[in-house]
Amino acid sequence: MNEHRSAKDAASDTEPSSANGITLVSYLLGGLAFWGGVGWVADHFLGFSALFLPIGLGVGLVGAIYLIYAQHVRS
Amino acid sequence: MGADVSVVAASESSCKIFGDGCGFEAPTVSLFFPTPWLDFGLPGTSGLNKYYLVAVVALLVAAAFWYFTTRKAKVVPGRGQSVAELLVTFLRDQVTRTAIGKEGDKYLPLMVTLFIFIFSMNIMGLIPGLQLPVTSNLAFPAVLALLIFLLWNIVGIRRHGAGGHFKARLVPGGVPTWILPLVIPIEALSNFIIRPATHMIRLFATMFAGHLLLALFAAAGFYMFNPLSEMGAGYGALSVGYSAMALLGFLVFTAFELFIMAVQAYVFVLLSSIYLGEALEGAH
Repeated sequence: MNEHRSAKDAASDTEPSSANGITLVSYLLGGLAFWGGVGWVADHFLGFSALFLPIGLGVGLVGAIYLIYAQHVRS
Repeated sequence: MGADVSVVAASESSCKIFGDGCGFEAPTVSLFFPTPWLDFGLPGTSGLNKYYLVAVVALLVAAAFWYFTTRKAKVVPGRGQSVAELLVTFLRDQVTRTAIGKEGDKYLPLMVTLFIFIFSMNIMGLIPGLQLPVTSNLAFPAVLALLIFLLWNIVGIRRHGAGGHFKARLVPGGVPTWILPLVIPIEALSNFIIRPATHMIRLFATMFAGHLLLALFAAAGFYMFNPLSEMGAGYGALSVGYSAMALLGFLVFTAFELFIMAVQAYVFVLLSSIYLGEALEGAH
């Protein structure tokens, strides 16, 4: 790669990688918290002890990993 | 109880290693809840306590830094001015230009101010007599993180309009429509709740833990210093050796803590710049 790149090129190289680390954690937490929360609420109102909570956690995890893949791996 | 390490140590002074058998009491989180000097009795408030005093001192330190480094600014900088210029160019090259690009120069004054203010608040944990990092109280990082969160929204809305900004933050690009109901709530929670929360907690938790660790080393050093042990001179000498190790640990961790204080101030402004850069950039 050309060593005499402009500052803007260097910036566009480093920005996504530093942003990624932060985004990944917030996606994973967000996915687990939201869909896990939905599952917990569903359990609470439908009278199950723990049926929808694990399903929600699973859905949230899959959604978060998909988002990470779509946003940062594929692109 | 004050958060001064010497106060913690003094309060443990009756208990000593190889003494009358009473054990070591580690410093607790009460360090971070100083007794208020003036309590207005308002719910959810702490009253006027040591944090306020230390925050004002931190503010004066930050102001004094700029006053003494820039009061005789010249084209060929003197020693103080060089330090200030070095700091500004470092933050420009490593933070705003890296995260935002050339356009980031507009936000450089904010980032430099934030860095100096946070660093001076952090470093108050090492100033003898004060020994309380202001950022170890969640309220201070919370207000700063909230400021950046508001700015992030304002900058995004001004650049892309409210619709454009929120669409960019909620609807991920290049994703099939049927999967959107699954991922939009994740994006919403991630961008609007978790990110500002982690932004403040990162700074708060590091300063909190670092201060507690230093207090623990100091308290242990005092606890283990018992040269006049009733169990004999040998134990007395051993206790001095133990105490020396604890105080050596205290010194090493103080140096390490100084490094962490600078790194955390840097990380806070770096993340702020990344968020602002992202808001300016729009859809990803």
